[in-house]
Amino acid sequence: MNPLPALVLLPVIGGGLAWLAERVRPHTVVPSRNASWWVMLATLIVETLLLAMVTFNHPTIRTGPWLEHFSMPWIPTMGIAVRLDMDGLSLSLIWLSLLLCFLCACLATRQITVKAGTFHFLFLTTLTGIIGTFLATDLFLFFFFWELMLVPMFVLIAVWGHEDRQRAALKFFMFTQGSGLLMLLSILGLVITHDRETGVLTFDYFTLAQTHLSPTLSMLLMLGFFIAFAVKLPIVPVHVWLPDAHTQAPTAASVLLAGILLKTGGYGMIRFNVMLFPDTAMHFAPVAMGLGVVGVLYGAWLSCAQEDIKRLIAYSSISHMGFVVLGIFTGSRMGMQGAIIQMLAHGLSAGALFLIAGTIQDRLHTRDMNRIGGLWTAMPRLSATGLFFAVASLGMPGLGNFAGEFLVLLATWHVSPIIATVTTVGLVLAAIYALRMVNRVFLAARREGQIPLKDLPVRQMAVFACAMIFLVVLGLHPQPFMTFSAPSPLSVIGVTGQGEHAP
Amino acid sequence: MIGHDVFLPTSLLVLCVGITVMLAATAWRRSTSRSFLTGMGTLLLALVFVGHHTGIAPDNGDSLFIQDQWANYTAILIMFSSMCILLMSWRNDANDRTTSLVDEYPLLCMLGTLGALTMVFSANYMPFFLGLEILGVSLMGLVTFRHRPAIQGYEAAMKYLILSGMSSAILLFGIGLAYGVTGSLRFMPPITIGNISPALPVAATIMILVGMFFKLSAVPFHMWLLDVMEGAPVPVAAFLAVVSKIAIFSSLVRYFGTGNQSPFLNDILYIVIILTIMGGNLLALRQTSLTRLLACSSITHVGYLLIAFLCPGRLQSGAITIYLLAYTASTLGVFATMSAFATSDGPDGTVIAQWKGLFFTRPFLASSMSLMLLSLAGIPPGIGFFAKFEIAATGVEYQRNLLLGALIIGSIIGLYYYLNIIRVMMSAPSLPSASLNRHIRPELMALVIVLTVIVVIGGLFPARALHPLLPVSAIPSDTETEMTMR
Repeated sequence: MNPLPALVLLPVIGGGLAWLAERVRPHTVVPSRNASWWVMLATLIVETLLLAMVTFNHPTIRTGPWLEHFSMPWIPTMGIAVRLDMDGLSLSLIWLSLLLCFLCACLATRQITVKAGTFHFLFLTTLTGIIGTFLATDLFLFFFFWELMLVPMFVLIAVWGHEDRQRAALKFFMFTQGSGLLMLLSILGLVITHDRETGVLTFDYFTLAQTHLSPTLSMLLMLGFFIAFAVKLPIVPVHVWLPDAHTQAPTAASVLLAGILLKTGGYGMIRFNVMLFPDTAMHFAPVAMGLGVVGVLYGAWLSCAQEDIKRLIAYSSISHMGFVVLGIFTGSRMGMQGAIIQMLAHGLSAGALFLIAGTIQDRLHTRDMNRIGGLWTAMPRLSATGLFFAVASLGMPGLGNFAGEFLVLLATWHVSPIIATVTTVGLVLAAIYALRMVNRVFLAARREGQIPLKDLPVRQMAVFACAMIFLVVLGLHPQPFMTFSAPSPLSVIGVTGQGEHAP
Repeated sequence: MIGHDVFLPTSLLVLCVGITVMLAATAWRRSTSRSFLTGMGTLLLALVFVGHHTGIAPDNGDSLFIQDQWANYTAILIMFSSMCILLMSWRNDANDRTTSLVDEYPLLCMLGTLGALTMVFSANYMPFFLGLEILGVSLMGLVTFRHRPAIQGYEAAMKYLILSGMSSAILLFGIGLAYGVTGSLRFMPPITIGNISPALPVAATIMILVGMFFKLSAVPFHMWLLDVMEGAPVPVAAFLAVVSKIAIFSSLVRYFGTGNQSPFLNDILYIVIILTIMGGNLLALRQTSLTRLLACSSITHVGYLLIAFLCPGRLQSGAITIYLLAYTASTLGVFATMSAFATSDGPDGTVIAQWKGLFFTRPFLASSMSLMLLSLAGIPPGIGFFAKFEIAATGVEYQRNLLLGALIIGSIIGLYYYLNIIRVMMSAPSLPSASLNRHIRPELMALVIVLTVIVVIGGLFPARALHPLLPVSAIPSDTETEMTMR
């Protein structure tokens, strides 16, 4: 029994159950809300067990072959099949997703009072879309999941978000969907070219990787993919949707957006841009690295000027994602590993920061830093946690983000010392915005007339502690993660993936 | 002559008998429900007999009717849509109508269906034109059935009468020219024989094409559709958007075949497609009326369909088949939801603002409406996603880059206005009393559920709908062999 389809489908089934759990007894408000929450937690636990089983089934984790393979015909006339494959990269990103979902489940989604069942259903459906994106190796299936995860996220933002939620949701959807259509054209272009060459109509990732393309066509196709991923990541000229969407989304959705949805962009760049079009990606690398540097600096610069906490974190995400682009396109193994570590670390630190911002907003009903201040005396635990994650996000040595950024910078230095030097300015700016936030929110003098606040309960601190431990481990001992999470090379499975079509 | 006339698809025969029975029954005693039931029964029976025919088709292809997979498929779609539309209007018009004499309504619906079926099955200009006119005249009658603002219905019917008459005239002129050139009434583009100047068949083809574009409401000829659909009752608007469009599109494919089109046709189609996609989408942006918006959306979808029509290839057949299915199911779904939303004394659902807060007052309706709209916009899990994917695939296969650009820009604009409706449904409800006037009509709920299931299942497992159903450019090749024989 292959675990991959179960991994994909479990969240959406659990979501359906959670939704039903709320519908069963609509009259008793409080127990039913909890019921859907419990179902969601149970789903996540089962999913985690399943994932752990997958992980530890392979005691010798090598960078070579792929861990799991699943294939089932879907639309045979078009050469479309349900093909799911798992390598270290997808596995580690799925672990990140589940970890963040646990954080959300424990800290954020319980506060949802309006239509909790629907909320949990949509949340888990988004998770299905994300996990599917990480596992799909059929280009059509990948595109299907890529589009599928937008819908529940759109609803999450548009219904449960803050003041200007609907405009933000619309913007988010239109940007990602519009760029997705370009990717669709690229996919089709690749498939049709392969069809012309060999007469085989297929959407299989491994088969398509062997297509011979002329340089111009290859560049065009790669650009189609790149633009779609650039919007999702985001890279600077197409980042416009991100600050609004992150700011207006409800806390849990913000965490999902920043923690995982952005990572699908980075994942796509590694899996599809660099691995499917290696030569073209090398030609394109200077442009991409330039965009990455602009992203690092621009995001950090704007982040320094924000008054809204969530907006500040959102812009800092743009800056951090710039490092990911930079690392991916250095073309070296080290840069790639740095980018992956950076993705994992940023997922945790930004996710946790959004949770803290959400907690603050729940208690103070504002995100404006001018109206928040001196939380340290009122909520020491929350403030300490906030300080930790802010420091992590500015790249303190010993924490995961530092490891990622350092590796990326080192790899960049080998390619171009100038770019590396310019990028370091981003680190300085990161220190400025992170410390500015810490100063104004936690350390500044208390504002007048502030309501008495309740600190984080111990249970929630324990949840945050998990993320902290993980970040520290990632920072102090990144080597196992680096070898573990490296994407499997195409050539290896090019043969085996074809051979074993057993379910 | 007799030999030709005997060949007749049984569905047509069944419909004719059913309509006669309905007429006779009306003469005896008037009853709305009986009329509806007879109509539904007839349609069901016709659906059962869809693959059968009477008589034998003559070998030389000179029969009045033709029956192949393509005709059967579109006939099934048309009859299914008619059943849905009858179901939608079952009690709706009872509310709408001030007088009690409404058994003309199902009768006209059936007549319209008969006209559409005749067009689909026709292999000759005569039945095609007759079908077109039967459809047009019964639609004109149907459009006037809106009685709340009565004047609007009459205005729409007048507009439809005049513009439909004009387009029929152009079409008829074209048919006349084609007959003059070829001396045959076979339903295919005229080809010059002998010393007739080549301008004549070209003129004939263009006139027939213009007539078809009028009925299809492709963009330079689209003006009537918005007003007519807005003035018509909701089910009749669905009839206009679905049944008549499928019928005329099916005839278009039958007429021009599925091979490569001649260069001048290619150019015309190119321009019309781009205009249709952009025009339909841009018109839809500022609409506040849901029916008008759906009219624009149906214009746009015709544009997308024409892309597949213009890109003959391996993927074309599947793309057209599934797109027709997706368009039919999703559009009918939207209209069914509108009917289910409407109440006799409250909002009738034709204005977008009335849908405000539906997610909180009637979550099921809102969810299925969103699903249908997303399917129309081409987002998974709806069937429209796969359909649009197939259309894009045909375009890429033929490298129609300009058309693909129009498709993408059109889809993005389309996404905006479809999502806008969903956004309105998600905003907080304005009237707390909105739940008061909810009364659920079970047949409409069942219809909505069935259509939702079709849209979702079709979206998840589209493989079954991908059959090569198009007439495999049989007509052009036939003519070539005939040419050589002569």
